[in-house]
Amino acid sequence: MQLKKSLVAISLSAIILSACGGGSSTESEPETPVVDNSFSFNASEMITNLTNDVIVSGYMSLSTQAQAFHLTTLTLLNNPSAENLAASQQAWRDVRTPWEQGEAHIFGPVDALSIDPHLDTWPLNTSDLQALLASQSGFTAQQVKAFNDDVQGFHTMEFLLFGDGLTDNEKTIDEMTALEREYLVACAEVFSEYAQALADAWTVAYDANDSNSPAYKELLLSANNDVYASELGVIEELINGMIGIIDEVGNGKIAEPFGTNINTTDTSLVESQYSWNSLADFSDNIQGVQNVYRGEFAGAADKQGIIDFVGAADSALASKIDSQISDAITAINAIAGDNNLPFRQAINDADARIKIQAAIDALSLVQTSFEADVLPLLTKWQSS
Amino acid sequence: MPITLLFVCWLSGCGSEKATPSQPTTPEIVYPDYAHIRLLAGSASAENASDSGHGFSTPIATLTADELARHLKGDFHFETSFTTAPNDEHPELDGLGPVFNNQNCNACHQRDGRPATLTVPSGEQRLLLGSNAGIFLRISLDDGDCHQASAENNYCQNTPVPGFGTQLFHRGVLQARDDWQEMPFIGQANVLLSYDYHSVTYRDGETVTLKKPVFSIEAPYDVSTKNSQNSALLASNVRYSPRNGMPIFGLGLLELIAENDILALVDEDDADQDGISGRANWVFDAVKAQAGEILPLSLGRFGWKASTPSVRVQSLGALRGDMGITNPLFPEESIANTAMHESYLARTGFIDTGVDQFGATEASASFADDVVFYAETLAVPARRNINNEQVLSGALLFEQVNCTGCHTPKFTTVSGEAFIGGRPAPEALKNQTIYPFSDMLLHDMGSDLADNRRDFMATGREWKTRPLWGIGLTKTVNPSAGFLHDGRAETIEEAILWHGGEAQNSKADFMALSKTERTALISFVMSL
Repeated sequence: MQLKKSLVAISLSAIILSACGGGSSTESEPETPVVDNSFSFNASEMITNLTNDVIVSGYMSLSTQAQAFHLTTLTLLNNPSAENLAASQQAWRDVRTPWEQGEAHIFGPVDALSIDPHLDTWPLNTSDLQALLASQSGFTAQQVKAFNDDVQGFHTMEFLLFGDGLTDNEKTIDEMTALEREYLVACAEVFSEYAQALADAWTVAYDANDSNSPAYKELLLSANNDVYASELGVIEELINGMIGIIDEVGNGKIAEPFGTNINTTDTSLVESQYSWNSLADFSDNIQGVQNVYRGEFAGAADKQGIIDFVGAADSALASKIDSQISDAITAINAIAGDNNLPFRQAINDADARIKIQAAIDALSLVQTSFEADVLPLLTKWQSS
Repeated sequence: MPITLLFVCWLSGCGSEKATPSQPTTPEIVYPDYAHIRLLAGSASAENASDSGHGFSTPIATLTADELARHLKGDFHFETSFTTAPNDEHPELDGLGPVFNNQNCNACHQRDGRPATLTVPSGEQRLLLGSNAGIFLRISLDDGDCHQASAENNYCQNTPVPGFGTQLFHRGVLQARDDWQEMPFIGQANVLLSYDYHSVTYRDGETVTLKKPVFSIEAPYDVSTKNSQNSALLASNVRYSPRNGMPIFGLGLLELIAENDILALVDEDDADQDGISGRANWVFDAVKAQAGEILPLSLGRFGWKASTPSVRVQSLGALRGDMGITNPLFPEESIANTAMHESYLARTGFIDTGVDQFGATEASASFADDVVFYAETLAVPARRNINNEQVLSGALLFEQVNCTGCHTPKFTTVSGEAFIGGRPAPEALKNQTIYPFSDMLLHDMGSDLADNRRDFMATGREWKTRPLWGIGLTKTVNPSAGFLHDGRAETIEEAILWHGGEAQNSKADFMALSKTERTALISFVMSL
């Protein structure tokens, strides 16, 4: 029933717009013949699904993983052993996954509450961190929270857990001081608080200090407010979010250290260089794109995603982009090769560079498709 | 969209020219021309991003390939965080501070827009400004107004607070202060934020609560904490003024408005007796000074009080000041020649001096040029809902209450040979019909908004008219963003209600409107 009513509304809309013609045209926008290439798509289910089951679900997972990671650091503090260090290292990698996937939708509280810089500032301020560890002790979460962003968050914890990453990513328990473990625990606790705050901002109130502020997810689910005037804005946000991270991975995270040739590489620019987790980061970033595009996490039951929006306009295009995203993930995963080469070594390996270039090219294809073929759909879309 | 609304829109939009003889005719409503303009900056407008939080972050589409590459490099730099010197892994990114307000451009211009207005946690009275804060305090000694800039009065530049300067840097690198063991990562002083509240009531009984930030300063570095009252920073003749980050799109276009077009709007003595004057701020121009010009003065265009002449001076001044990163235009550290800097250098081995042994600054020329170019070439978001009847009627009310008395809708940028920040201007910025809704001039905004601190020739009651283009996307870009110089206004309505002085009549007229009319006017502003 709702569909029929919507179709009537669309028909009326078309008639009225047509009748009014260029009544609102301006000197800067001369009238052009209108070609009706519009398409209809009811976006409510897709937005609801992407908001609740992809974005919010991802942040809940981040918070859960962050709590688990914090517990492993406490265990490591109280019982320093190789096994417990390995457990903390793995837990760090596990938190990294939902965070990197969530970079496909960096908007809202993660920016407004400055949670992104709190959690993921790069580069690490090694000068201040080492001076801190050389001069102070008794670190608490409350203290660390007041410190600058570049001595806390993912990469500070990564440095403490894995070492400097220059020759290996296998810091031993003997190489880790008690003070480092103490600082790590404080960082992990702060991290966990921010991850919880992020999840709360989406599900409880986007300003924790203002009980009248709505949960951020509500602003997307009922898009008729000062943040999102319409569903169009939400879809545009999601599409541009995917483009943003594809661009960042292809043209920033990979291309910058890769350089123009093997003599212009720069390992200092490699993301997650201490843990050698770079390729997993990149792959997770694009997995995040796939989550938003498909509307579900890998292996989960099919739900509506941006692919359905694109498919309503052009099913062949929708499938093409889906394949391009998969190809990009495959190309990134292929960089390590049979030798499981980490990215910071791969950029200086002639054979691996061919694979890296292939990944850059694959990402470029997806980005071009989104920019050239998907963004223009926004102006052709008729909500229903 | 409800069918009824479309129907009304149809009747209104088609007007009498479509009416048949059997239909009653109604007077045709003549809307201001800008009411129908969707692209507020011609070909320098953004498409496909203007309904979302990406609306402020789009490069102008008509940039050349080389220009786009520069813009994208600048985009990267805009989010680059600097660290304490020395950083052996990233020597190109060290030199932060030693005192600063934030660590990268994006921290105060989140997604190229406004920063979050911070709220005080429940149960607490005040909030310490830290890395979350996109706001800082300008400071200077009260030295009276300055009416005519000259070499003798240092071109009306403000008098620095001894030992501090003209900007309070509330954050620092770990060892910025002598007492860093007790005060790690603290700058010249702590700044704490609280709010005062009061209500405004319309004739129809509706009430709006307004909040005003109140800043307090504690633990200045120049005296022991027991003797704070003796600090030069807390002397009775020190004036403070908060500065919130502001959006950075469309700036190159504003810089290319012909100076004469702005000056034509000056009405210093209110000759037309409309209660609105409009004054130009003439400010020291570091680009001209560096080029050796005898009179290094330019028309102020940027900043809350129009105290900088160009995107270049504004951006590189912020790089050196807000972040403590020296650059080719400002090669000295922000606190050079103060006791704090001398002590810091002596304690840390004279490493972070601002320039290396070859004279190179912390930010290279290419870094500085690219980040400036980025801020010069961000497109202006297109409007939304321009055919909505409420928005259209709001445009009529916008005229009726004379918002356009200061928020001048339209300019055309220069054509032919043109310079921006002393460099040749990109063609993409030229000869564009733009609708910034600002006269680019200073106005007395009344005592409620007054900061009582002059800035070059701007008095303690004057502020530059803020451009309104893109303002409707503010919350989309950052849901916690606020309006006005200290982020005090949570909504457009609150911002209007803070207007006073030369805008008092317009505010009074706005308050006299019905609820429906007020909503319409705001919906027009939100469509920009």
